[in-house]
Amino acid sequence: MKVHKASSRSKNEQRNATKRHPKSKWRVHNKRIRSLDPSQLTSSPTVAKVVPQLANRQKSKLKRLQKAHAKAVTLSPEESNFVRAKVRVPPVTFPRVHTNGGTELETGSDSEDSQDWSSYAKSVLQNGLEMKGGEEDLTPVARVQLEDEEPPEYHAQYDHVQNHTVLVLQQGQFLCFRGKCLLTCLSGRVEVMGFTIEQGQQPYPLFSPPSHCPLTIIALGDCAPPGRNRKEGRLEAKAIVRKHLSSEPRKRLLSEVDSDSCVVLLQPLDTPLVRFLTSFGELDHLFGLSSKELRSQAAVQNAAFSAVGLTALRGLCARGLVVSRSYREALSSLLNAWEGDFDRCPIILVCGAKNSGKSSFNRHLINTLLNHTASVEYLECDLGQTEFTPPGCLSLSTVTEPLLGPPFTHQREAEHMVFYGQSDCQADLDRYLDSLKSLWMYYSGESPIVINTMGWVKGHGFQVLVDLIRFFSVTHLVQLSYGDAPQCANLTPEFLRSAHGFQTHPPAQPVLADELDGHLASRGHVLLSIHSEFEGAGTSGEMRHQRSNELRDLALLGYFSQLQSAGPCPVRPLHCFTPYQVPLSAVALGVTHCEVAPDHILYAANASLVGLCCLDEKVVGRGGPVLLSQTPVCPCVGLGVLRGVDMARGLYFLVTPVPPAVLRQVNCLLLGEVTLPKMLLTMQHGVETELPYVTADYSFDITGAGKLHVFKGLSRPCFLKAKTNN
Amino acid sequence: MKRKPAGKTRHVVAWMNKAEWDHVLDYLYSKDLALRTHALHRISAWKGRFGHTTPVAVESTANLVRCQVLDGTGNMEGDDLVLLYGMALTRFVNLILERQHGRVAKPLRRLASNLNIPEWIVNLRHDMTHRRLPSLKWCRKGCEFVLNWLQQEYWSRQLSTRHIADWNSSSEEEDEEEGGKKQDDDKMEAEEEETVTRQRERERHKRARELLISYEHEQFQVYEELRQHSHERGPQLNTSTDLGWILAQINQFGSEYGDILMDVLVQDGFLIPTAEQLESLDIDPSGQFLDSFYPSLPRSFLRLWLPLLRVLSSAPFINQILDRLFAELSNEPTNHRTFYISAWISEILQCNSKCESKALRRMKMMKERIFVSRVPLQCQELISACLNSPCAATPFLLQQILTDMDKPLPTVTQHNLLRLCRIYTQCNLGDCSPSNTDPSQPVYTVESLQEQLAGAEQSRRVLSPKHGPGPAKAMPTQEIQEQLSAETIHERQAALRGSPWSVCTDKVPWKQYPLGKVPGQAEDPSCLMVETYSTLTVFDQQVELDHISHPHGNTSGAVVSRTGPDGPLWTHGDLSKLKMGLKLF
Repeated sequence: MKVHKASSRSKNEQRNATKRHPKSKWRVHNKRIRSLDPSQLTSSPTVAKVVPQLANRQKSKLKRLQKAHAKAVTLSPEESNFVRAKVRVPPVTFPRVHTNGGTELETGSDSEDSQDWSSYAKSVLQNGLEMKGGEEDLTPVARVQLEDEEPPEYHAQYDHVQNHTVLVLQQGQFLCFRGKCLLTCLSGRVEVMGFTIEQGQQPYPLFSPPSHCPLTIIALGDCAPPGRNRKEGRLEAKAIVRKHLSSEPRKRLLSEVDSDSCVVLLQPLDTPLVRFLTSFGELDHLFGLSSKELRSQAAVQNAAFSAVGLTALRGLCARGLVVSRSYREALSSLLNAWEGDFDRCPIILVCGAKNSGKSSFNRHLINTLLNHTASVEYLECDLGQTEFTPPGCLSLSTVTEPLLGPPFTHQREAEHMVFYGQSDCQADLDRYLDSLKSLWMYYSGESPIVINTMGWVKGHGFQVLVDLIRFFSVTHLVQLSYGDAPQCANLTPEFLRSAHGFQTHPPAQPVLADELDGHLASRGHVLLSIHSEFEGAGTSGEMRHQRSNELRDLALLGYFSQLQSAGPCPVRPLHCFTPYQVPLSAVALGVTHCEVAPDHILYAANASLVGLCCLDEKVVGRGGPVLLSQTPVCPCVGLGVLRGVDMARGLYFLVTPVPPAVLRQVNCLLLGEVTLPKMLLTMQHGVETELPYVTADYSFDITGAGKLHVFKGLSRPCFLKAKTNN
Repeated sequence: MKRKPAGKTRHVVAWMNKAEWDHVLDYLYSKDLALRTHALHRISAWKGRFGHTTPVAVESTANLVRCQVLDGTGNMEGDDLVLLYGMALTRFVNLILERQHGRVAKPLRRLASNLNIPEWIVNLRHDMTHRRLPSLKWCRKGCEFVLNWLQQEYWSRQLSTRHIADWNSSSEEEDEEEGGKKQDDDKMEAEEEETVTRQRERERHKRARELLISYEHEQFQVYEELRQHSHERGPQLNTSTDLGWILAQINQFGSEYGDILMDVLVQDGFLIPTAEQLESLDIDPSGQFLDSFYPSLPRSFLRLWLPLLRVLSSAPFINQILDRLFAELSNEPTNHRTFYISAWISEILQCNSKCESKALRRMKMMKERIFVSRVPLQCQELISACLNSPCAATPFLLQQILTDMDKPLPTVTQHNLLRLCRIYTQCNLGDCSPSNTDPSQPVYTVESLQEQLAGAEQSRRVLSPKHGPGPAKAMPTQEIQEQLSAETIHERQAALRGSPWSVCTDKVPWKQYPLGKVPGQAEDPSCLMVETYSTLTVFDQQVELDHISHPHGNTSGAVVSRTGPDGPLWTHGDLSKLKMGLKLF
């Protein structure tokens, strides 16, 4: 419970750093605490009072300092937005922003305000992550509360002149949608995928394509300064609506605005990414409804939404992220671990079989943590479904912006990356582990880290998982599972004490058992088991854009959309960009996934995806290409397309979004099994000649034309016919 | 119309083009071990591109050929070879039959018979895996058979449209063995026939060139004489008897092989004059005074060809040559060619003009008309041909076609079409407004284009229903290529200075070069072969790892590379040292 308390403190403090009126901070804080964590506050304000003393042991001095610092920065209400943005920048200037703020304030405030939190605690029920203890009866279905009672009716108006929509959500109301938009919170607070957005914050892009679970905007209710009555609040909200709507649509909306309603501004989203993706014919419905939603007619017709690129969902399809009880509990205990008196930053490793909901949980977790801290580190150990980088790369990223969409919508340069080249690690487990170890060396330990692992939890995959837990000295292990039968053994600290990894082995049973056992126990991790209860857990998506190869292609397209200029230029296919050139003998070339005859290497490299890597060695060739004898584990700064090879002049031509200042360090190009999305090769507008590597004459009807196909679960006739035949 | 017929999906493959495929196929099945090795090496690169999607047949063939190559070197012992062959054959049988399984596993023998793989091959596989290893002799036999099977069933069918058609029309259960052989024979015959026809065609081309060259030669002589005589103001020379004979021959040839004659005519040095020819006709070859928007032939050059064209001018010939010229125009020829081709088109159209324009009257007076009586032209086809081959003169030509149509289009349609055409060809309207231009819309913006597009597209559809990709093609595509400003280039170059990298500053129309193609790249499938290369051995990466880990207080012993699951253990001490090193808080 005490840890819990601490969590509210830090929420407080972050606000503190961004909020105006240092003098009225006290009250502002109270309100905020109340609205954020209703359950815990009621549960025991008395216990909470004990916490400060416990938590204060060592930190108080530091905290004070930072508090002062933060105050100095928070200047005026106008600047609050700016400051917030600044705070989110990597935590150099504000190490542990979350820890500043007065503990005494809270203890006082709790009792004072706790009486009225319950008045709207009910409305926050949908906000699953903040639930705890008392709401045992809340099954995931609780989120669908609107389903039977009232049809979802949204108070939204579109303004033609300014081309945006203003949406008024009552406390507790939510909007589950498909599509994409830019969301600004004008009044009150809303939550999306665990991230709280409130008045005065920057606009956030939201992407909700049918490849993933739809996003939900949940109104959390306003936290108007106390002392102002409802009427004032209402007037203020109405003023905001007036400001953003012209007279005609305004009238219809004003009557719906109340003091505690959230006003949200939705704008159409037209980024180079969106334009690039939708320029491909196959992807033009990427931000539409999924076929299942179409079939069940889940779309709510609303002109104001469709004008900005959204489609609201209703019925069962509007359940959004299904949060099971174990999920909620795990999330809140991780939050507590961060806030609590844990003597170091939590190292959170998330594991589970394929399609058990790891990446959704990760996003939710990161967003939740970002409510309380400026940045979260993220270590990618899953080669197939990478979060921030193209597939086939392992990376360590610093996350400062919330993740409000699937991975392909937030491809960015990772701080540190290693190119592995394949979408699974089976071929070379040692290189995989070595790559991760080399990335781990860059982890600063100053912010919490979330480690995402691959879905391979059987056989060697499980051994690798054991290795990872040991390498990273994980403090919190989240293990997701689904169905009735467990996918793999429970990774309890006791289990790990005897489990064999791929590279690591359990310590030999020591003779001086007492001492070592005590040591190990203190080092053991906390295991949080989550039982996923969403529909289709454990089965891979079959619908369009849900299959893993499609998602990988989307991630690559998302990555290369960085090449597109931000202005209103036409979408350019990759071959239209001015390439960089480099002599064949100045960069090494290697193939990560198979043996290619050296004199034919350029046939493999031409028009291929390459990892741009930096070797320590100086690369000096003798005219021709420089080939690597084995695949190195080396830093990778990004990906590029080897656009062509000028044999006469001995030059590689490369198209890449990597900035030139970074590109200059690159001296090694690695080829992997992850290939360019097919459409990048088959759709090259403006080319009049025949496209290389593309043919329409290849027939897959001919025997042997297809790839190696592994049939899983091929049943033997003897099993079917009860051994009568054989 | 543009590249591939619609409806066929385009696949990404590992070979650059058909030529590379043929090249590998030839080498795979050649007798020469070096060539076969070459093919295997190329397939290794293919596998690099394909990754896990390598076609099963390609992989099996490579495995089996590898066995034969190793067998051929004579360096291997019999037992080694049996193991090699064994794996290659087993994988072939298993992989090729894998897809034949339904949901339930079936006996391989039955599946094999569906594919015309004889039972003994399957038995060979069973022997390899479950029973006594077969003899090397049987292995070799099996390998040879399977390679032939693969050639017939996969390699020779794939990428050859004729065979695909055969295959698709026939059901899978058909007797493939015989069919395959027959097809092979057919193929041989067809190939032979093809070479013979090609040979003949080449000869005919040669003949046509000879005839036309002798005609030109004769005409130049006449011209020279004429020039000399003009000083003396002597009587005009009549066409010599030699010329008459040549003309008769050409006419004869043209009636038989009109296509070939046309082919040669549109080549440089005939209807398209070379610089030399122009000089000898006293025409400035630099062409700087020529108006590419309103091309017209230099008169003396026209006169050079008039006798021949008069002889040839029949209605079908005129239609044919127009078609041909437009087709040439759509191949995006050089400026010089474009000018002369469009000038010839314009010339012919003018001769056919129905209203008595000034130009026509002048032509009559000068006896410069190629033909006198009007020829019914296929205007619809002409318009679509004209629009398919955009050049600077397209609006001008289009105008001519439109005004001469027997059943003219509605004027609105004509206007729209012309306007669209001008926008596309970027012909400046200010300085060259022909009679029909609408002066109220002198400037075109993207918006006006968009407005016009709907209407124009419609009219286009009315005009030529067959003309599918026209509207898309008519969209301006210039912008699609990235144009870096000098500043950006400078900035990037500055950032890259000191490194081997640089921005490619060659003036290359990259939009015309698809990924994998660069300017000057040969079509030859061996264009990417590496002659010299060097190998770089990277030090163990762990060195770097240690280096980095030092600031964390790690001893270098803590992080050691392991190889294999049986490698040295991470001792507890190592582990805790590692952990200690990482904890900074």
